[in-house]
Amino acid sequence: MVSPWSDDRHRDSPEQRPTHLAPDAPGRSPRGRRRTEQHLATGFAPRSAADVHRPAPAARRIPYPSGVPLISLRELTKRYNGGVTALDGLTVDIEPGIVGLVGSNGAGKSTLLKILLGLIDATSGEATVMDLDVRTRGTEIRQFVGYMPEHDALPPDATATDLVAHLARMSGLPTTAARERTAEVLRHVGLYEERYRAIGGYSTGMKQRVKLAQALVHDPRLLLLDEPTNGLDPSGRDEMLELVRRTGAEFGIAVVVASHLLGEIERVCDHLVAIEGGRLLRSAPLDTFTERTGLVAIEVEEGAERLAAALVGRGVEARLDGRAVVVDVRDERFYDLARDALVDLDLALVRIEPRRRHLEDLFRDEEPGEVPAA
Amino acid sequence: MTADATPRPGGDPPIPSGSIYDLGYRGYDGPRLGRRHAVGALFTHTLLSCYGIGRGGRAKIIPFVLAGIAVLPAVIAVGLVALARQAGQAGEFITDASPIRYETYFEIVGQIVALFCAAQAPELLGRDQRYSVLSLYFSRALERTDYAIAKLGGFVVALLALVLAPQIILVLGLTLSSPDLAEGLGENLPKVPPILAQAITLSAVFGSLSLAIAAFTPRRAYATAGIIASFIIPPVVAEIAREVTSRDISRWFVLASPPDVIGATNAFFFDIRPDSSVIAAARHPGELYLAVAALAVAACTGILIRRYQRITA
Repeated sequence: MVSPWSDDRHRDSPEQRPTHLAPDAPGRSPRGRRRTEQHLATGFAPRSAADVHRPAPAARRIPYPSGVPLISLRELTKRYNGGVTALDGLTVDIEPGIVGLVGSNGAGKSTLLKILLGLIDATSGEATVMDLDVRTRGTEIRQFVGYMPEHDALPPDATATDLVAHLARMSGLPTTAARERTAEVLRHVGLYEERYRAIGGYSTGMKQRVKLAQALVHDPRLLLLDEPTNGLDPSGRDEMLELVRRTGAEFGIAVVVASHLLGEIERVCDHLVAIEGGRLLRSAPLDTFTERTGLVAIEVEEGAERLAAALVGRGVEARLDGRAVVVDVRDERFYDLARDALVDLDLALVRIEPRRRHLEDLFRDEEPGEVPAA
Repeated sequence: MTADATPRPGGDPPIPSGSIYDLGYRGYDGPRLGRRHAVGALFTHTLLSCYGIGRGGRAKIIPFVLAGIAVLPAVIAVGLVALARQAGQAGEFITDASPIRYETYFEIVGQIVALFCAAQAPELLGRDQRYSVLSLYFSRALERTDYAIAKLGGFVVALLALVLAPQIILVLGLTLSSPDLAEGLGENLPKVPPILAQAITLSAVFGSLSLAIAAFTPRRAYATAGIIASFIIPPVVAEIAREVTSRDISRWFVLASPPDVIGATNAFFFDIRPDSSVIAAARHPGELYLAVAALAVAACTGILIRRYQRITA
């Protein structure tokens, strides 16, 4: 399908076109696919097929011309008084989808989200959200943005229902609608049974869900999540990531997830923006990361050194890491070579898995700071 | 979704038949009422929070106890007057000698109001700061100034209720218990404008001052101590100044003491001589105290707004 997005922004070769926006991209649900088509065509997702033929209520439409990025940053810089530079000339465009904002702790992810919301003022540079300048038109932006902060932002003596309904009214919903939306959203995040208990008695997972609920209660067009899996146990992380994935994929809400846990984020995101030291490291669709770079660890019961030597002998860069041999995968033939080596040496294979230990490992191919056209 | 999926109208996710319905997420198509509605909702929420309504049982104890103490003298006074009227001529003495009148009531209740401020102002502001809830507020279409104004408005109206309730009881009680209703109205209704004026002045000054102090610390103990200090220390300083220095210098200390300023405006509105010797000795015109009160409200409001514009959410 030819859409205004792909035509206006991507004049390069088809490989450069972000694959996550293509309606026939693998892994998209039919519903998600339809939403993406409508989203791309009209700039904002109508809620059902019927809406396509019916003009949307004025309250839901804000001017968002096609051809303009969802979020656009130009030389965005933030310096704190103590001399700390959180963002340093960051320039990137972010399109709708589920975008992962990754970087190590202190890379500037939280600062960036707060600048987009107007919670912090940038030192210099420009940032626009939905073609609105964050400095001058923050109030309009915030009507349609939901924010899930990283830190624990919940008063312990309020109940989940009271807090979320109150915040819904703060977002401009009438009181009755606020109550109804609160109940719906709390059910959506899985807190329906516990919603009348005080928040002070909640587990960390429940508190994170309350924060996600208050971000969703006013039906935002853009969701900014700051470390949503912070403090959760593994099953809690899985559930939160699944919630995030569904919210982005099925309900037509653009999501930006900031996290330092690359392994989790790549499970739900279709586009990654990597930041390091306040600068853009790379911004590209997820599949380009996994195609072109990646370490693979082959773990064997014993004889790892022999395997490493055999692989090196066949022209593959390998190094030892305990019982595993870590290989930098450059081409498809590696897997055949590895299989042959294992068979020849008669080694017992435990597992082969991709491994990323450092964020920079992903980007070893590129020069730091180089931004591919994406 | 399971294989037996029933499509639903409106394009919502299909309901799997025979299993728990996952109603999923719906969009919101209704009206969005903008900043004014948000400010109004926060104002109402603040007003109710001051009396612990919507916050659980324990939060109601202090405000309702204080409100009860504030109202008690009025109830007693009305009861006394009602009994006195029945006693006839002798009762007139009791009525006239009663220390509980409109003019004196603000002084009686002033200390209750100070305690109420010290107890509730830190709760209103400190709770949001302590738990970083401000980031949830300021990431919405609500300006920082709106937040400050809504909190101030809610608190001042709460104080107004505290201060006016006993006066209303007095007015109604005295009017209804007088032998002739018209005469009773004639006696008591003219008191209503000064009552309102003084109530508004007192609530605005004490309220804005307490919030301006409470905004600077999320820790309740510090805020409470600061507010109490602002009520206790300036009058003491004014009194000491009057003893120690000449009148030309000491008369200006009175203007920096909130309870004295309010006492003076009370005298001004009711057109009586001030009880406090410090005020009497200072010999300022009543209008000056009123101007100082207005200035104090403006200054404290400005401090509050500025604090919230600069605070990190």
